[in-house]
Amino acid sequence: MAEVVIENLKKSFGAVEVLKDIDLTVEDGGFVVLVGPSGCGKSTLLRAVAGLEPVSGGTITIGGRKVNDLAPAQREIAMVFQSYALYPHMDVAANMGFGLKFAGTPKAEIAARVGEAARILQLEPLLKRRPRELSGGQRQRVAIGRAIVRKPQVFLFDEPLSNLDAALRINTRVEIAKLHKLLAATIVYVTHDQVEAMTLADKIVVMNQGRIEQQGKPLDLYYRPANLFVAGFIGSPAMNFLPGVVVEGGIDLGENGRLSMALPAAASPGTRITLGIRPEHMRIAETAGLPSLPATVDLVERLGETGFAHLRLATGGMAIAEIRGETGLRTGDKTVLALDPAHLHVFGPDGRRIG
Amino acid sequence: MARGTYLRLLVFFLGPAVLVYSLFSIYPLLATILNSFYSREADGSSLWAGLGNFHTLLTDPTWSGPFWNALRNNFVFFLIHMCVQNPIGLLLAALLSLKQLRFRSAYRTLIFMPTMLSVVVIGFSWQLILSPLWGIAKMFLAFFGLGFLFAPWLGVESSALITVSLISVWQFVGIPMILIYTALLAIPDELIDAATVDGLNQFQAFVWVKLPLIWPTIGLVSILTFVNNFNAFDLIYAMKGALAGPNFSTDIMGTLFYRTFFGNQLQLGNPSMGSTIATMMLIIILIGVMAYLFLVQRRIQRYSF
Repeated sequence: MAEVVIENLKKSFGAVEVLKDIDLTVEDGGFVVLVGPSGCGKSTLLRAVAGLEPVSGGTITIGGRKVNDLAPAQREIAMVFQSYALYPHMDVAANMGFGLKFAGTPKAEIAARVGEAARILQLEPLLKRRPRELSGGQRQRVAIGRAIVRKPQVFLFDEPLSNLDAALRINTRVEIAKLHKLLAATIVYVTHDQVEAMTLADKIVVMNQGRIEQQGKPLDLYYRPANLFVAGFIGSPAMNFLPGVVVEGGIDLGENGRLSMALPAAASPGTRITLGIRPEHMRIAETAGLPSLPATVDLVERLGETGFAHLRLATGGMAIAEIRGETGLRTGDKTVLALDPAHLHVFGPDGRRIG
Repeated sequence: MARGTYLRLLVFFLGPAVLVYSLFSIYPLLATILNSFYSREADGSSLWAGLGNFHTLLTDPTWSGPFWNALRNNFVFFLIHMCVQNPIGLLLAALLSLKQLRFRSAYRTLIFMPTMLSVVVIGFSWQLILSPLWGIAKMFLAFFGLGFLFAPWLGVESSALITVSLISVWQFVGIPMILIYTALLAIPDELIDAATVDGLNQFQAFVWVKLPLIWPTIGLVSILTFVNNFNAFDLIYAMKGALAGPNFSTDIMGTLFYRTFFGNQLQLGNPSMGSTIATMMLIIILIGVMAYLFLVQRRIQRYSF
């Protein structure tokens, strides 16, 4: 396994820049997940590492070797595609051994490696089947098997779970996490699903419009998002954003919305800011000593033990707060929203975090 | 649903199609086959002849000579299409599906254009092009210093059939191209990406991944070629007339049938022998199609992606 270093990577289609100065290091044995909305460039970045997409500038180094000018097969990578991309006319064993056959690997060794991968993935009874005789989850395992037999330096996954149904997706996610430990593999994984990102990654890279917005440990991104985009992207339901102005000794969110709190020196009175707070860090009910906002209940969604209350704030905006247990809350109720001061995020006018 | 209603609906929905198909397809077919079992007497009456007409066609030298000649020519005509038209169609389809290709739709339209033209126009144009007197082909070759290669290809027994076949290939190469191109488009890009990661170059990916996936289409193209070629008539008739000259060297089943059934110049029309030839054509096509269905089609697998 090897380290992947990406420096100053650029990619443009004509005048459109789809990757802008990407700098990213994937540690040896690391699991990096690229997330972002559609069209943010995460798949393009993965394909650039694979060598399927030529780049316009910068360098990609895999295991200390610059691979910019190498063909995909020479980069010692293996890729798992969203549609699995199994060869429909070959059985499972042939699918897994196809790349090795073309690399001139002796037959006995191909058989051994395919057997080994099949054992790890519990595909042994399926080796003689064609892809169309397999279920979605089995096809997914064959696609992973095809990657394993190549003994690559880096595994690249392109939204591998998005074609699976919900139950299977959770299973396969766990399988991939186990496989990562078992093989001590270096993995770069693209997804738009933040649950996959949070659960699988050592390091999450949030991308937007061809740029890396923030990279770091999953919980760091959750607790200290660097900007509004990351704050809104990580977490479900999304973080509430309340626009306001800095005043002496606190911030003013509008009518009945004056909160007193300590702010960094950079936030001088008059600065327009956005206050961010996650639904799980708000309580419905007055709590002594906590900053609070009056609100009217718009809608209550109950998921069982937890639920979400959609609220219309007296300041004008909308917010979602998590509720626990039986609250008896109903649409139209007037209530008070208490904010946990430890989990307030303040973003400046440019969207960057200031406190 | 009540039985009466069901039957009424059945008649309402299927009736028109059954009627038209029976009237214009099944009836003529059966009538032709039936006709081939009768012989036409000099006084115009018909007489049951059993398989006599077939016996005459296959053994009487007056009939069997032209028949075997036409059949052999027809096979040559078919083989030239299979070995030239379909491989070129495959090649063009492969080139058209290249990602880097520009002006794709212009090429596609231009190559498909002759297919939409009338066979009569094609035949006439090529006759002018290849004419030894004023044809552009002679001047064209001479311009490159290759004038010695020119021969009146359409007028020489040894080359007339090949020339006519190649003109037909030129006209219809668009059909295998379009069918195979469509099949190639249906192959997902990710499959080729996977092959690239597995170390295959574009050519290898074509041979080892794309080609196996388009065999069903190539099979379909082959059987269409076979049926069309054994039913061919118009191009030969337009270029060489019903006598399919020189000296019957371009005579195929269609032209032989035409002369026999309708008559030509000094030859009187003979509906019963004409029907016999038509029935033989049906049998040949049937054998070919059945052989394809039972020997080839059953071994080909279709893939969904």
